[in-house]
Amino acid sequence: MKAERIALLLVIVLVMGVPLAAVLARSNSDTIEIHAQMADNGGWTPSDLKAQVGQPLHLRLTSDDVMHGFAVGQSDAPALDVLPGQWTTTTLLFDQPGKYTFYCTRWCGPSHWRMRGTIEVTGAATGATTETITTTAPLYVTLNLDLDAPHPSDVVPNEKPSAARGVSLGVILDRIAAPDRTQTSGAQVWHQLRSSSITQHLSDEQVWDLVALTWRSNTTPERLAEGQQLYAQNCAACHGETGKGDGVIAPSLKKTPMPGMTMTGHETVAPIDFTDAKNMLGASDAILEGKIIRGGMGTGMPYWGPIFTAEQIQALVDYVWTFQFER
Amino acid sequence: MTPIELTRSPIVKAALRARWPQFVIRVIALAGFVFAILSGFIGTPVGNHNFSIVFVWIVWWALLMLIVVPFLGRGWCAVCPIPLPGEWLQNGALLKPRGKGFGLNRKWPRRFRNIWLQNIAFTLLALFSAVVLTQPGVTGLVLLLFLIVALATSLIFERRAFCRYLCPVGGFIGLYSQVAPVEVRVKDPAVCAVHTEKSCYTGSKDGYGCPWLIYPGTLTRNINCGLCLECLRTCTQDNVAFNLRSFGADLKQPGGRRLDEAFKAFIMLGAALIYSAVMLGPWGALKSAAYSIGTPQWLVYALSLLGLIYIVLPGTFLIAVAVGRTLTKSKETLKKSFSAFAYALVPLGLMAWIAFSLSFVFASLSYLWPALSDPLGAGWNLFGTAHVAWQPYLMSIVPFLQAGVLIGGLWWACMTARRIAAEQQTGRAITLQALPVMGFCFITTTGLLGLLIG
Amino acid sequence: MMRRIRLSPRWILIGLLALVIVVVPSPIALAARAARAERHFRIEASSFQYTPEALQVNPGDHVTIDLVSTDVVHGLYIDGYDLNVTADPGQTATLSFVADQSGAFRFRCSVTCGALHPFMIGKLDVGSNDLLWRAIGLSALALVAGVWVVRR
Repeated sequence: MKAERIALLLVIVLVMGVPLAAVLARSNSDTIEIHAQMADNGGWTPSDLKAQVGQPLHLRLTSDDVMHGFAVGQSDAPALDVLPGQWTTTTLLFDQPGKYTFYCTRWCGPSHWRMRGTIEVTGAATGATTETITTTAPLYVTLNLDLDAPHPSDVVPNEKPSAARGVSLGVILDRIAAPDRTQTSGAQVWHQLRSSSITQHLSDEQVWDLVALTWRSNTTPERLAEGQQLYAQNCAACHGETGKGDGVIAPSLKKTPMPGMTMTGHETVAPIDFTDAKNMLGASDAILEGKIIRGGMGTGMPYWGPIFTAEQIQALVDYVWTFQFER
Repeated sequence: MTPIELTRSPIVKAALRARWPQFVIRVIALAGFVFAILSGFIGTPVGNHNFSIVFVWIVWWALLMLIVVPFLGRGWCAVCPIPLPGEWLQNGALLKPRGKGFGLNRKWPRRFRNIWLQNIAFTLLALFSAVVLTQPGVTGLVLLLFLIVALATSLIFERRAFCRYLCPVGGFIGLYSQVAPVEVRVKDPAVCAVHTEKSCYTGSKDGYGCPWLIYPGTLTRNINCGLCLECLRTCTQDNVAFNLRSFGADLKQPGGRRLDEAFKAFIMLGAALIYSAVMLGPWGALKSAAYSIGTPQWLVYALSLLGLIYIVLPGTFLIAVAVGRTLTKSKETLKKSFSAFAYALVPLGLMAWIAFSLSFVFASLSYLWPALSDPLGAGWNLFGTAHVAWQPYLMSIVPFLQAGVLIGGLWWACMTARRIAAEQQTGRAITLQALPVMGFCFITTTGLLGLLIG
Repeated sequence: MMRRIRLSPRWILIGLLALVIVVVPSPIALAARAARAERHFRIEASSFQYTPEALQVNPGDHVTIDLVSTDVVHGLYIDGYDLNVTADPGQTATLSFVADQSGAFRFRCSVTCGALHPFMIGKLDVGSNDLLWRAIGLSALALVAGVWVVRR
């Protein structure tokens, strides 16, 4: 019967046609689809990409659970939000071969920092200049510093040193042999300033204010602002917005190291308290920079080497000192 | 109010008898259903961007609970896609009867000719609802199971045995259809009495015998009538009518009140209370317990749900009924009184579910826009609405609507309780017998008010 | 349904009581008008719970909410006030407003944070929840009417 045939056609077209169309519409183009999940559930899938120098790499990203973000380490391209159930498209272009790291930029749980992938870029370098890029080893390597050795300070201030107070003291720091802050700790700077003849009339606390001033003189408001933003986005979740090591993620990291406890390197401990003067003032910028780059220390601290540029790490280190010094 | 026969209008009668409009809606529903299953399996795992979650548990549920059930009773059953593949195979045809079809056509076992299996099926869904409602894959699986079970049932048993005796949705739509202002009834029972063929039940060349295994000649309640309108088409005496009537007309029918239906009322009321607390309350521990299936916390949640639905609510109600009986020295058995008065919970439960649904539907309705344009969460933008941001609608007036609906439901329940009492008592005894039941309704209403707008 | 209700004195009384329940100004609101305080709350958001899950302020208070996400990115949207704020873990977000609307308002998460995200709900009580009390009052009145007023 004709009516039955039409009815059957309708059923086939709608009931089978619509899903078929949907399945076919999920086409495979040359765009790579990346699914983001919290790191414990898989992280980035796929997490290892390959690209060619000079060839655009088209990516489509979606999240399968919570809000994530996407950025390529040491790149100035802004981070992209990767939204649950929605897609973000981007195109990457590399003009240097090498191994690049991409990472999640929105906190997505305690394992957020482990959510990383690599892009292996091959091919000949392009670019207007023929100069080769040389990478310099970080200071802690060239100076052969032991990042894991404890660094307690032998002197601590009674209250938080202030660079502004240091300015009002009217001491011209250039007259004192300028301590190389990158390699000397806050305590060592204090000793150097203390032993100078120009500071004889000052109290110990006032000399600390001068230490704060040397810190501030070696940085800029722009670097501090950048450091603050980097800290807020990357560090505060564990180290705390006030630097005390009491960040919201900290409780899910395990124990504080007890004296005499042997660390195997696989457990995690509570994040360091940046407001602890005794611990912090015994460390130099080089040590802090090294810890940020290399991470580890048996504490679960992420390694930021592939993620931050040298300038960004410098900004971060400058900012970390705001937990010890007032501007 | 005497029912108004809508089929007196030739246009209405022709429209309802026509097979094509209903068929087209059914096929669209089936396509949507199949697409929802597909979307559940291959779409994004993010529920609020997946067609299956959004269009089943938000859009379809909203339409069902807020519009279709209160105003059209079992109207959804008239277009529901779940039994269709099986029914088409049973009939060997998509439209008019053509001859034989497939299937063993066995009679449904006598001991299951009640809604207990539907009660159990709904309870099972309720125990796993936190996962079903939020995980597209699980929704897809549940929908697929419905389809497979319905198909299998159709191939083994006669007619719409699945719909009548197994479907958990049908369980509560049937119960609440007693409230709806529409019905299918015979015009003149005397005509049926002398009609030997009973084509409304046995079928004719123009249509099938009632797929719902009902004899329309004696149909007095909506509960089991799926509004499929076959009887309208097959009755050779033009004795079947589609009527408009007052709300709650079936609740005024004395007799024929059953324990399985009574328990359905408790299941629905209990589920409304539990969901209001767990899903819409501010207590995250309850939600995690409901979600983490298999853990001790979930076990506590499951036992609490079962305890409330099957023990606490019916137990308290039993006491209320018993007290009322004692106060009035009623001659009815306790079991009959219990079953009878439980029907006062029908309007109460329906209003409770409407109040509950209002909250989450309007909070989540805006997900409909991205799900429409990008049903699989694959990055499409079919209608340009894929990036419409989430925005709750009308949340400032929803509490007022909820309050109104719940108070209205309480009033309705009290009036129904009085009416049921009046079937056995007169004068002051009516009030006395209904009073404890009305008190029960008041307490549950207060509980729902506290949970939903407190 | 209700054909047999005549406008008896009992019904007029019920009607008046209903009117009173609906329109009478809340005594608590009248008393608390003087107190307009600065209220500061710190709400921790985790999947799928706000801690504290309920806040209580007086009408007119200046409310500041610090939203602290403890695991993933969460948001906080207040029904009725139509205010929204989003917080990443490690970056406390602040929402500041005057509680000029009285009643009970739900707040809910506005950033998809997992399966139960649509049910991540908390409550803000500004003053007394007049709607709830009036609704309970009307319910009690319905019960009373059902018992005393309807004649058969």
